Amino acid sequence: MKIENEEELRGRKEYSLTVNGRKVMVFVHPSKTLLEVLREDLDLIGTKCGCDDTNCGVCTVLMDGHPVKSCTILIPQAAGHTILTIEGLEAAPDNLHPLQQSFIDHTAIQCGFCTPAMVLTAKAILDENPHASEEEIREGLHGNVCRCTGYKQITEAIMAVRDGEYGDFLQWEEVNHK
Amino acid sequence: MESLIGKGCRRIDAYDKVTGRGLYASDYDNQFTHVAQIKALRSPYAHALIKKLDISRAQALDGVIYVMTGYEKGIDWDQFPKAAVLAMDRALWAGQTVALVCAETEEIAEKAVDLIDVEYEVLPHVLDYYDAIKPNPAAVVDPDYETRDQGFMDRPADRATNRVSPNIVGAYFMNEGNVEEAMKTADRIAEGEFWVGKKTASPMECANALCRYDNDGGITMWSNGAGVHGVIKQGIVRILGMEESHVRVIQPYMGGSFGSRLNPFIELLTALMCIRTKRTVRYKFTRKELFIASPSNWTCITKVKLGAKNDGTIVANDYYLCEEIGAALNNTFFSGRLSSSGAAPVYTWGHNIRMDTYAVTTNTVPAAEYRGLGCPEAEFGIECLINQLADELHMSPVEIRKKNMIKRGERDCYGELITSTGIEKCMEAVADAIKVEEEPVQDMGVWKKGRGIAVAGKQNTPLGRSEAEVWFNSDGTIELFISCDENGMGATTAMTQIVANEFKVPIEAVKTTKGDTAITPYDNYSASSRTTYNCGNACMLAAQDCIRQLKDEVARAYGLHPSKVEIEGTKAILKGSYVQEVDIPSLFVPVGMFTQGNWGLQKGSPVKGHAVYCPAAIHQWGKDGRADRVWNWFQYSACAVEAAVNEETGQIRILKIASSADTGNPINTETIRGQIIGGIHMAVGFATMEEHLYDDKGQMWNCNLSDYRLPLSDTLPTNDNVFTFICPDPLPDGPYGAKGMAESITIPVGPAIAEAVYKAVGVRVTGYPMTAERILKLIEDRDAVSEGGAR
Repeated sequence: MKIENEEELRGRKEYSLTVNGRKVMVFVHPSKTLLEVLREDLDLIGTKCGCDDTNCGVCTVLMDGHPVKSCTILIPQAAGHTILTIEGLEAAPDNLHPLQQSFIDHTAIQCGFCTPAMVLTAKAILDENPHASEEEIREGLHGNVCRCTGYKQITEAIMAVRDGEYGDFLQWEEVNHK
Repeated sequence: MESLIGKGCRRIDAYDKVTGRGLYASDYDNQFTHVAQIKALRSPYAHALIKKLDISRAQALDGVIYVMTGYEKGIDWDQFPKAAVLAMDRALWAGQTVALVCAETEEIAEKAVDLIDVEYEVLPHVLDYYDAIKPNPAAVVDPDYETRDQGFMDRPADRATNRVSPNIVGAYFMNEGNVEEAMKTADRIAEGEFWVGKKTASPMECANALCRYDNDGGITMWSNGAGVHGVIKQGIVRILGMEESHVRVIQPYMGGSFGSRLNPFIELLTALMCIRTKRTVRYKFTRKELFIASPSNWTCITKVKLGAKNDGTIVANDYYLCEEIGAALNNTFFSGRLSSSGAAPVYTWGHNIRMDTYAVTTNTVPAAEYRGLGCPEAEFGIECLINQLADELHMSPVEIRKKNMIKRGERDCYGELITSTGIEKCMEAVADAIKVEEEPVQDMGVWKKGRGIAVAGKQNTPLGRSEAEVWFNSDGTIELFISCDENGMGATTAMTQIVANEFKVPIEAVKTTKGDTAITPYDNYSASSRTTYNCGNACMLAAQDCIRQLKDEVARAYGLHPSKVEIEGTKAILKGSYVQEVDIPSLFVPVGMFTQGNWGLQKGSPVKGHAVYCPAAIHQWGKDGRADRVWNWFQYSACAVEAAVNEETGQIRILKIASSADTGNPINTETIRGQIIGGIHMAVGFATMEEHLYDDKGQMWNCNLSDYRLPLSDTLPTNDNVFTFICPDPLPDGPYGAKGMAESITIPVGPAIAEAVYKAVGVRVTGYPMTAERILKLIEDRDAVSEGGAR
């Protein structure tokens, strides 16, 4: 039988937010983090947990287009906002976001645990500055730890999208994220 | 079809990982209902007597299922991984488990941990080599070392006698030639003592395991541990006394390992709790626990003395090494032999070498495997001294190394034949890329530039068998079943590539299933960079076994000798027959009342190839520590850097870096490139940032990712300043001539940076991490000496 904490149950409140283009309502305790709500209540387990204190970045999601560490956003702070997780980035299983395709093609993936967050952060970098230099891309990735790759193939993948090798990514987003 | 070997095929797991669909062990909570949670009470002291341990209030808390202590009945902690041992009357390091609580929820488990009443009597502790090695140390970690029953060592030769300190718990000695006589013939002696910091592998996914209690009394485990068969299942069977048929271990995607998950510290405790509670249980380390309670690497102290002729020929190496292994009671693993193997594969030493090596215990987290198995630590001093010799002799660092390297076909100091070495090519490639023999232009103000180079070799240890199974399905699709680990390095892609190549099909035509003891065949584990070699050979053999059977079947059907049949994917090409080409799936007979399939090819029933590959065993070494087979083969790497050192702050910045790998014939050039860049990135962390730091209680205080700095996106220079080279020397017994490569990459980076620092600011580093504080101190000492001289 599932054992619930009475105190926790009594403290639950309703929060509505937009996740991956869909309005959702959750009924949870306000001390829950956005990461916990995404993983436990919405089953969006593409967002990972690596440290609990914002230092590793594997929990990064986009909130109103900006990268945030979901492990330290409390659900009341996320209420009313628009969240994009890795599950919402692709248009369809066979129509990946240009950044996803580029990460695959450039072998910018090893263990993959940081990859969803890395791709989302890359999107935020290019959305803000479609002509970001390599230095600017590296600065933008500063909060995302990758222990495997050394970032060369990751930055190559992002620059290939920036340079139009996967078509106009802004246009792709325009068409597919509406 | 064109060969797939040496091609940068796409990773077979890339889609799963880039879409977030791939499941990791830590994602499995959602797959079950009512998962009980485990939380640990840990010792806050590095060394303490446990005077009182009262768990009754915790047990009484509603929702608590089980509380385990070191006195758990029927458990022999000696058999457990050292980091998994629960303290009994004495806590041996700050972070050791004192009690383990299993409860309905994480919150209840945490509350119960707080309710455990424990009283400690703090004892003096030893935290590093220098304290531990004293003849009368403040603490003795394993006082029973000498009185414990004989036979606890798997190799009696490793047992330490005549110990300098009671904390020495392992020893290995090796002698080739006559070091003392050879030293007398040297024109110049270079010597030094070198240290390195204690590190945690820090994969992005913290260690975790989930264990289901099955209806038949067996267990099924999902964890991010390595070695589903050889480490986890066999560990559970042997240590917990389970029947093999009652243990199933599944390895989903792993969020990194770098060797650190070869130690089943979390799996055994999770399985034990599962059996005790008959519940599905989950144990998940926090990032802090990963630092204080999961094995660190082992640090090594080396004292190196090299004798050389004026022309740069090294005539002897007098080498001392001590592994600092943490709080390991009943050590059966460490003797210094593993790490000191780093001194063997690169140089001849004039065939005069003496290695005196030891293992010493401390009150810190027990050590275990981490990328390079002590070789980055063991080779640091050697490479630093060779650079120093080159500087003193006004020789090129490339020339002095060339003069002293072992060539293919020669023997190393153990007496082993070196069958493959690409070290010279590796060195030349990076030296050329960074132009290490030229001086950089000083144009960065207080940032002074310098260039340095170093090389490295790393043994591969024979570690048992790998098996592989290859199916040719009746519709012509191909499947591969293996149990090697996929820590992220791309091994499963390389394995798939090998099978696809044998069948002459694109890699996409082969589906690979991996890491489930109920489905995939035995593999010991992926360690010592062995997967490409060991599992790769098994995959190749299994594919060939399957192809041989297909040839037999086709030959039978068309009245030919099997040698007249070639298999190319789903086609058989026939020689000398009335048909030239056969669609193999068409030979599989449908099931029907009039065609009972007692033999031959039948729809739905795959043709199965199976293979075992296991390297030859090593030979017990004699009193001189030598034998003609100690290791298996050797991987090589070289690194050159241009670094800038800020004379005012001591900071180091890498401006250019080149790394090369002798991979044997490469299987997948792109995943190898990833391993090279990832390896140097990690090694820059070793060399400049990462170390455990302790407070006066012996607690690690930087046990989080803001105080324990990992290399980030700005650690390496921009892409046009990062150079990678694959410099293969084929390994005769490797699949297509391939060998492993992931460990050697990390070894030469530290000493190359150390030499660049010397060239930049004229100070000799004797250890790492070379933090800004340490470099600044050396610069200040240098200035004090030169000012003193001026007066």
